Order: sequence, then structure tokens, then C-alpha cells
Amino acid sequence: MALLEVQNITKRFGGLVAVRELSLTINQGQIVALIGPNGAGKTTAFNIIAGYYKADGGKVIFNGREITNLRPDQICGLGLARTFQVVRPFGGISVLDNVMVGAYAHTSDAKIAKAKAEEVLESLGLQRMANQMAKGLPIAIRKRLEIARAVATDPQMILLDEAMAGLRPTEAEEVIGMVRKLSENGIAILLVEHVMKVVMSLAERIIVLHHGETIAEGEPAEVVKNKQCIEAYLGEANNVGS
Amino acid sequence: MNTQISTKSSRSPVSRLLHTLFGNWDRTQLSISFILVGLMAISPLFVRSPYYMGIIILACLYSFIGISWNIVSGFSGQLLIAHIIFLALGGYTTIVLLNTFRVMPWVGILLGGVVAALAGWVIALITLRYGLKMDYFALFTIALLVALRTLFLKWDFVGGAVGMYIRLAEPSVAKMIFATKPPYLYIALTLLVAGILIQYQIYRSKMGKYFIAIREDEAAAAALGVNTSRYKTIAVLIGAALAGVGGGFYVMYVTFIDPTGLFNLGINVEMVMAGPIIGGLGSLLGPILGALVNKPIAELVRGTLAEGRSGISLIVYGVFLITSIIVLPRGLAGLFHNLYLRLYRPSQDIE
Repeated sequence: MALLEVQNITKRFGGLVAVRELSLTINQGQIVALIGPNGAGKTTAFNIIAGYYKADGGKVIFNGREITNLRPDQICGLGLARTFQVVRPFGGISVLDNVMVGAYAHTSDAKIAKAKAEEVLESLGLQRMANQMAKGLPIAIRKRLEIARAVATDPQMILLDEAMAGLRPTEAEEVIGMVRKLSENGIAILLVEHVMKVVMSLAERIIVLHHGETIAEGEPAEVVKNKQCIEAYLGEANNVGS
Repeated sequence: MNTQISTKSSRSPVSRLLHTLFGNWDRTQLSISFILVGLMAISPLFVRSPYYMGIIILACLYSFIGISWNIVSGFSGQLLIAHIIFLALGGYTTIVLLNTFRVMPWVGILLGGVVAALAGWVIALITLRYGLKMDYFALFTIALLVALRTLFLKWDFVGGAVGMYIRLAEPSVAKMIFATKPPYLYIALTLLVAGILIQYQIYRSKMGKYFIAIREDEAAAAALGVNTSRYKTIAVLIGAALAGVGGGFYVMYVTFIDPTGLFNLGINVEMVMAGPIIGGLGSLLGPILGALVNKPIAELVRGTLAEGRSGISLIVYGVFLITSIIVLPRGLAGLFHNLYLRLYRPSQDIE
């Protein structure tokens, strides 16, 4: 059975259809990438799945349970976590405290939450930063903190919104390693990503969005050969020079 | 002191005690709070003048009220500007129960807290229902204050514009009427100790972490499983309940309440906001440090300048507040924290 099943979700902003009848399924531990040019509706799709936007149509089913239009915190509680494209650390508190907020999702005990947070920081190589304020951290660390917080909520699946954007290649490489490790631990990942190298090396399946619609879907090798896809996305990206 | 704190492994009971009291910043703030409480508790031994005693009592009460506001606006970040509403409601509840229904003030004060909490709950419901946040939330509470003042001015049952007095009778513990100041001080100190402990427990618990997460970034908090509506409501409820209790005691102490005195934004600044802001909003120590500085200065300014042109004292007080915000954006507690880190961090490195 699929872990996440998105059925024909649609989202309109006034006259603009940001996402049109999008469907996708993700199995346990799978890594799926959602790609497409700017404005294709990737982040909108994320926001619907994670409960930040109300869908104008369609259903989201997670673990056999319909989660369409539940609140974000309820969805997180059911084991579907997310990160934000523009990272949103709690700047005024320490890295450890940031991760503890996530760890409190399934406990009220401060000791358990702290142990859990420390464990997550350790597994993601952030333990040395534990007592630093989140505010002053470099972007690469903040991106990793964003993932660490989501992992601390004990999810079965994480929505990663451009977790590697703005990173240097070596830093991106570290995050790729993190994501792989999560997937090996049985956490499914749906990622939105612009860096094709990342997508190609991580994703088992790619879904290409354009103007809110799926135009191609399949294994990475197939998708990059798809003509429509090259025109819509890769062609443009190549012209821009990334 | 520095070296004593750092030697965790040393067996000396003194250093172990120091470590327990000052081992981390949170505990240090708690310890300093209790040292300040202790100093206030022994102050009647040195302070004979009822005037100065009165300032200490109000500084103590302002600390408690500051804590109640700090939990809402400092921890959960909701700009509850017109927090004094809850003080007024607690005060009115206490005095109406006493004068009209002969309910002992000890009970009345607690019921004042309950009434204020109910009001807080209604405010939270309305603001959440209509998605009022930050400045809109602040404006809503100010509008409510003005509306309530008008209502109470016209409401004869609670004395209208004249307000209500406590009929001074023979001193009586049951009626919370005392001939001297110290008993009031010890009641205020009891409230303050409760406030310090409640604030500390919240800060160290899941609830406190969730409050702060909401303050820092509400959407991100929700993504991590924080039911933001519920926790914002809880923060307002707790802050309102404590403020209601504080208002009840305030009225018993000054023996008088009227709508313009407490449904009043100017008084709100002095009683509620100045302390935590001077002391450091969001810190554990801020409300107390701030109140202990704010109350005497407000009193001094009023005492020395009130005879001249009216309003001069308010201008001077305003300049003082503005200066303290500019010079110490994180308040006195922020200053103390830096000092603490300077004393403490090098010793950690040695380990």
C-alpha cells in the first residue's frame, strides 16, 4: 500500500490554477522528486499536502487515512513532516531547543525530548552546534537544522522543499548524504529541488510539473529523455545556465 | 566564584551548592529571583517609613504582574498590549464580591483570577476566530480596554465613574485589612514566589518551548506539531489568571478602584509593561529586575517633579523608558546574561 496518495488535488489563486488535478503516490522509504520550472506549483502542492493551504478539490491520503485539510500540526502528528524553502529556524533559542520543539511532538517529558533531540543532532552531525543560538548560524547549518527539526518529530515521511538550494557543492553533498540516510532508515522523502544533479543522484522517481499539471513521470533516466520535459524545464534551465 | 562554579567534580559542599544554584543560566535567574525575594522579605527590618515600604510592596506586586505579562507577550509573543484589562477585572471582581456579597477577599482574589481567565479565553477565541495577530491583536486588546472603560463608567452596579471603595473597618485578617504595611508585603511576596515558580516551570516544560516556538515563527511551529491555537489560548489564559489575582490584591491594598484608574493605557505602561521591558522581555529574571528599577524611578520622578508643571514627570519617565530600550534592547537580564557567560564560559572550556 502506498504511504502517501495524492488524488487529483487542485488549487486556485483567483483566476490562476496553481495546481491542476495533481496525483502522485509514494511508498515507504522511497525518495521521489517533484521538479518543474519556477511557478510550476511545486511548493503549492507541498503546502496543500502539509495542510497550509486548503485544496479546492481532490484528496490527500496518508497511511490509509484522509488528511485533506487537516491542520499542519495534526498532519505532523500523524507522521508527515515538512521543511520550508526559506528556512525558518527559531532564531532566539539554541539549536538543541529548536530540535526539542520537534521532539516534543510525541512526548511531554523534557528528559525524553532532550535525549531524542540530542540523538537526532548527533545522527545528522550537528551535535557541536547544540548550544549555539540558531540566529547566527551559516545557511548550510540552518538548512540542516531545518531537516533535523523535522526528523525529531519521528516522521514516516518528510517533504523537503529545496533543502539544498543556495548551498555550495560540498555542502549539498553532505545534505544528500543526510537524505539518503533518512531513506535507509525507512523515511519516505518527497523533495522539491532545482539542482538536477541532486535530483538525479537521489530520486527513484521524478514527477515533472508544468503550469500546475504533471507532464512527465518516471525513473530519472526516462524523464530526462522526455521531450516535453526537456522543453518545459531542462531546456529552460540549460538556457539560464544552471 | 568563577573557579568554584567550574569545578563540578570537586567535593566541597560549598561548590556543589554553588553549582546547584548557578550551574546554568535558567537556574541562576531563579536563584537571583529568590535572593531578591529574600531581600524584600527582610526589608521591614531596615525600612521604617510607610512611604518606602509602600514602594517595595508595589515593586513586588509589579514583579508579579510583570511575570503574568511576560508569559503571554514575552514567551508566546502575543502582543497583549492592554493586559491591564485583566487586573481591572480581577480587582472589580474582588471588590464587588466583598462589598456586595460579603465574600472574603482571600477567596475573592482567586475568583478575580478566574473571571480574568474567562475574559482571556474569550479574547483568545475571538482573535483566533478572526485571525488577528501581532499589531491587529494588540489593537484589538486596546479597543477592548476602551470599550470596557466606557461600560464600567456607565455601570452603576460597580459604582460607575466614582468607582468602589473598601469600607475601612477594624484591621482584620479575614477581610485583609491591616494597620501596618508588612502584612501586605508578605502577601505580595507570596504571590511573587508563586509567580516565579509558575513561570520557571512553564519555561522549562514542553508548554514553554511551544510558546517560544510560536513567538519565533508560528508557521514553523505548526509544521513541528504545535497546535498553535491551543497554545496561544493557554498562554493568554495563564497570563490573564495571574494578572486577575494581582489586580485583586492591588485593590485590597489601595482600597479603591475606578474605571479611569485601571482601564488606562498610561497606567498599563507603568504597572505592566515597563518592568519586563526594562528587565528583559522573555527572560525569567526580567520582570523582577525591571519592576525593582521601574517602580522606584517612576515614584522618584513623580515625587520630585510633580510639583512643577503638570506632565513634566511623565516626559522624564518617558525619556527614561526610551533610553533604557535603546541602551539595553535585551533588558537588564540580557546584561546580566552576558556577564554570566563571561564568568562561566572560560571555566567550561577548561573542562
